[in-house]
Amino acid sequence: MNKIMYLEFERCIGCRACQAACRECGDHDAKERNYVEYVDFTESRQTFPMLCMQCKDPACARVCPANAIQITDEGVVLSAMEEKCIGCRNCTFGCPFGIPKFDFETNKMYKCDMCYDRTRHDIAPMCASVCPSDAIRFIDFDEMQQLRRKRTQMNLVEGKKPQEGNKWDYVPEFFGVYTDSQS
Amino acid sequence: MYKFEKSFYSKTSMYSFVVVMILFFSMWYSTSKFVHIDMALLGYAISSTVFAIGLTIRMSFWMWRKATNRVAKRSVDNLFNKERLKRNSKAFVRTLIDNIILQKFIFQRGIYRGIQHFMISWGCIISFAITFGLTFGWMRFDLIDPETYQIIVFDMPTITMAAHGIFAEIVYNGLNIGAIMVLIGAGMALYRRITDYDVKVTQRFEFDILPLIILLAVTVTGLILTIQYTFLDGWMHHYMSLIHQVTVIIMLMYFPFGKLFHVPIRPLATAVPMSYQEVVKVDTKSCKSCGQPYSNDDQIADVQAILKSQNFDLQLADGTYLSDYCTGCRRRMRALKQMNLEAPQGNPYGPVNTNNGIHISGFSKKRSEEFYGLDQDLKEEKVDEPVSR
Repeated sequence: MNKIMYLEFERCIGCRACQAACRECGDHDAKERNYVEYVDFTESRQTFPMLCMQCKDPACARVCPANAIQITDEGVVLSAMEEKCIGCRNCTFGCPFGIPKFDFETNKMYKCDMCYDRTRHDIAPMCASVCPSDAIRFIDFDEMQQLRRKRTQMNLVEGKKPQEGNKWDYVPEFFGVYTDSQS
Repeated sequence: MYKFEKSFYSKTSMYSFVVVMILFFSMWYSTSKFVHIDMALLGYAISSTVFAIGLTIRMSFWMWRKATNRVAKRSVDNLFNKERLKRNSKAFVRTLIDNIILQKFIFQRGIYRGIQHFMISWGCIISFAITFGLTFGWMRFDLIDPETYQIIVFDMPTITMAAHGIFAEIVYNGLNIGAIMVLIGAGMALYRRITDYDVKVTQRFEFDILPLIILLAVTVTGLILTIQYTFLDGWMHHYMSLIHQVTVIIMLMYFPFGKLFHVPIRPLATAVPMSYQEVVKVDTKSCKSCGQPYSNDDQIADVQAILKSQNFDLQLADGTYLSDYCTGCRRRMRALKQMNLEAPQGNPYGPVNTNNGIHISGFSKKRSEEFYGLDQDLKEEKVDEPVSR
């Protein structure tokens, strides 16, 4: 498996279908684990979806005093193990992207696990499979490279050439390279 | 002290040595110099000692983790702070009753799970208390007259009871009661693990199912022993007791390295009401950007220290750390960065200027020059390049 979650924030139309789908996913206990938020409600109606980046070296796992956040063989960062989590919320503050959520009643942290039971079998996660505007996509690595190249070409057509110092401003963010192995 | 430490291979082996010595002397004292030692339980005593060593090693490594160490250290510091006496005792009582004795948070996850966990945990606590008490000789029964037993704890005579009274029967059958509780709980858990689709998503056989099988093996062989000596006149009792001993040893060896290790780390949950969040859902530290309270100063200091000690560079250009912002603002910052919407000039905490001529795909807008942030000389080089309108 070599699939990638590909987000294009500006394509988000704020329908929140991804959140509704997330609630339906197995083991998500009818609570959504992703976010759809306004960039600045007073300025525009632009929304953006937000998921976990499945870091290779996750800050959330590093700040967990109970060692409860585990990473699967595929590289998916799972929610805190329910039996270990002591409910300190360090992960929510340690995460640079503000992803983990916390349930005070049941005293456990839950976060995007890329719909582990689906992506494990190469099926797109719930959010990606329902997104009507392709803001969230679950695509091959090669397709991602193509999309990024296209974005760069668009800027070239416009007459803007990325320089060494700012070339990253010209490509959309991608994350969640699922594994490096060629299987 | 330093020399003492240097005479060991590692700190962990020193701690293990100390633990074994404490166990040995407690055994020596409570069996009044090994006079009352129960030789039938010698196998259990040895495996319990190995279990204690395993637990010590595992706890040392766990405490060595940067995050655990920091949180535990702050808790210990706060523990000896006299001004926090009221808060500490409140935190202790609350964690002990809500979290460990009643396990309220598991009942919140579902009544079935609550009953299941309550049965397993209390069955195990009862059984462990009796097993360790008897094997290390911390507790024994003395016949003071033909009709009265006395329970002797750490070589000190305590309560007396009639040999055939109701209380005595409960005490004799303590292990059976514990075993039946574990049998019910582990059976419920195994049924849930096999049938519930949701838990199958992340469960692993060796981590989630194996401990249940081991627990069931211990309880079932233990209960068969009871059946054999009450109803079958001790038929095959000797062989069964060996099998039971083997299952118990497997469980004791598995305990520190598998799922059951969550039991000794649970007391760390006291750290949450003690050092971090005094009242549930009430925060005191406010976000640098939006001003909403989202956490506690001590906790953010700890998180930043833990991240720093592990070489996470999450400091922004203005010297603040990402953890100084609430989760919502952190998500927004990332999206702004990604969509190139960050205000190119002015107050970075002010409202976002979304009308800055930035290219939004599909709308063929031209980006404003200032956005590219290129140096002036770089710009001048590009004067001859074609620009599409």
